[in-house]
Amino acid sequence: MQAMGPIEKQLRRFWPFASLALILLIIVVVVDASGSILMQRTVADGLIKLIVVVGIYIFMGNSGVLSFGSIVYMMIGAYATAWMTLLPNLKRFTLPGLPGFLIEAQLDPFVSLILAALLAAAVAFVLALAIMRTNPIAISIATFAAMAMGYTIYNNWERVTLGTSSIIGLPMYVDMWVVFYWALVVMAIAYIYQISRFGLALRASREDEVAARAFGVNVYIQRVIAFTLSGFVVGIGGVLHGHFLGILTVNAFWIQLTFITLAMLVVGGQNSLAGAVVGVIVITAATEIFRQMEKGAEIGSTLIQLPLGVQEVILGVLMLAIMIFRPAGIMGGREIPWPFGPPKPIRGGRSRTLETGAGKARTGD
Amino acid sequence: MSEAATKGSNGELLEARDISVHFEGLAALDGLSVSLDRTEIFGLIGPNGSGKTTLVNVLTGFQKATAGRVTLSGRDITDWPPYRIGRAGLSRTFQAVRLFRDLSVLENLEIAGVGHGLSRRAAEKRAVDILEWMNFEHKAYDLADTLPYGDERRVGIGRALASAPQFVLLDEPAAGLTDAECDDIMQLIARIPADFGCGVLLIEHNMRVIMGVCGRIHVIESGQSVAEGPPGDIQSNPDVIRAYLGSKPQDA
Repeated sequence: MQAMGPIEKQLRRFWPFASLALILLIIVVVVDASGSILMQRTVADGLIKLIVVVGIYIFMGNSGVLSFGSIVYMMIGAYATAWMTLLPNLKRFTLPGLPGFLIEAQLDPFVSLILAALLAAAVAFVLALAIMRTNPIAISIATFAAMAMGYTIYNNWERVTLGTSSIIGLPMYVDMWVVFYWALVVMAIAYIYQISRFGLALRASREDEVAARAFGVNVYIQRVIAFTLSGFVVGIGGVLHGHFLGILTVNAFWIQLTFITLAMLVVGGQNSLAGAVVGVIVITAATEIFRQMEKGAEIGSTLIQLPLGVQEVILGVLMLAIMIFRPAGIMGGREIPWPFGPPKPIRGGRSRTLETGAGKARTGD
Repeated sequence: MSEAATKGSNGELLEARDISVHFEGLAALDGLSVSLDRTEIFGLIGPNGSGKTTLVNVLTGFQKATAGRVTLSGRDITDWPPYRIGRAGLSRTFQAVRLFRDLSVLENLEIAGVGHGLSRRAAEKRAVDILEWMNFEHKAYDLADTLPYGDERRVGIGRALASAPQFVLLDEPAAGLTDAECDDIMQLIARIPADFGCGVLLIEHNMRVIMGVCGRIHVIESGQSVAEGPPGDIQSNPDVIRAYLGSKPQDA
């Protein structure tokens, strides 16, 4: 019934994902070829943020409901993987509050990642069950309240998290390429979700909640599904964060990270996957450029050096400018368009014969 | 029960019995009963504020009735939430249209199918069929936000049909349309019962539309029933004329 072939249709369908994967691949390959360890670490760190931002996007972008409290799932994932991968001897002395089976556990990093992300998802699920019946603003505040709770618990639960001290000794298997592969997986999860009937139903509620309900969308359930999936993906980001740095501090999972990840999403455009990805790339690149300029950069024969702290100010101005002149973000809520023209119109000429007509309708519910 | 309730072709009725809605003592609806089957277009008219939209909201679960029952093909749906009523086969349009603005026309229709429990693929197929039925397939990929007003209203009707409803409630589908657009909408509405096996409850101020497509018309005023019958009877009914003109003939 479409005027295009099935292969072209599939290519078109997955182009928004494929194009973003391609952009990331180019960045990673170029940085890898540059041989700069520092650059590779910057990109790896950026890609971890990308995973977190895509995770936040899964809920926030599709539902239109702000989530201020997503970083807590990153923390849950990070600490869970520490519990499962640290050396048992280390845990016996530093984290004596852990149950015996966790102290003895030393799991494969992949298994640990999945389990840790599942724990984050489970916590997100339980919270979602409780809060998703209320209105969007109340949900936003509730996500923040839950984050503050989790943060305080982890900060004081010394025998399990070391409280305000740092946990060290996580196996550091994560480099730029590892994060890149996981970023692809996470983007694929987000994209498949968003084109699924669940994602479509949730986006309908974002556009008009009343109409969505009238057309059979259980907004509560759809929000719970998205928030749980979001917790899973953000949890993956937390796991990778832990194994990238090898060290964990509760303080790291608080307002600053919340702000920067939300800023990335909003600057890129929170209503599309491309917006999430582009926002991370733009903010990461801008931050890096200004940081270099604070250190001083020679362009031609003149040394340009910005005073310390200017980086944050310029970044703030940049964000304000984007919000004022392009409130829907850089991508304006769109995915990257298929480069070979818009979809062809559906072929007409079958009017009056309707397969979904009377007969089928009668057998309906 | 009115005589109309028993003449249904297959006994599948949308029925509201003795519906009352009180807002802090003010009666928006006062013991109203209507009933329609899946083969007919049933008009609901009345002056502004007479309770037409309140009735639609009660039928679709958006407004709780203070008293009375709503049944759909024998099932009592009175206290069901809107999404459940939508899935059970009762679909609607909105006076304010309420399209999903940042989604394409095709997606707008797909959501109705998806909400009804179809897979995305099946929902897309049904959406395409309905767009072709409306001769609107050329705008399938346009964003709903970019449509002119008249097209918005048509897409609203298409979306209401995309969930394969047993009954569809059209809340002023012709409001603000030009005469030519009204003709298009009337043709579209007139084909719904035969092509979809779906009864239509039509609320409209435009008398040309109401008289042109409805088999039966129910008139309400101040939440109460004034008259019910075929268009010819309604047009000459003195109670209806009084309800609309609001004064005695000798004063006019």
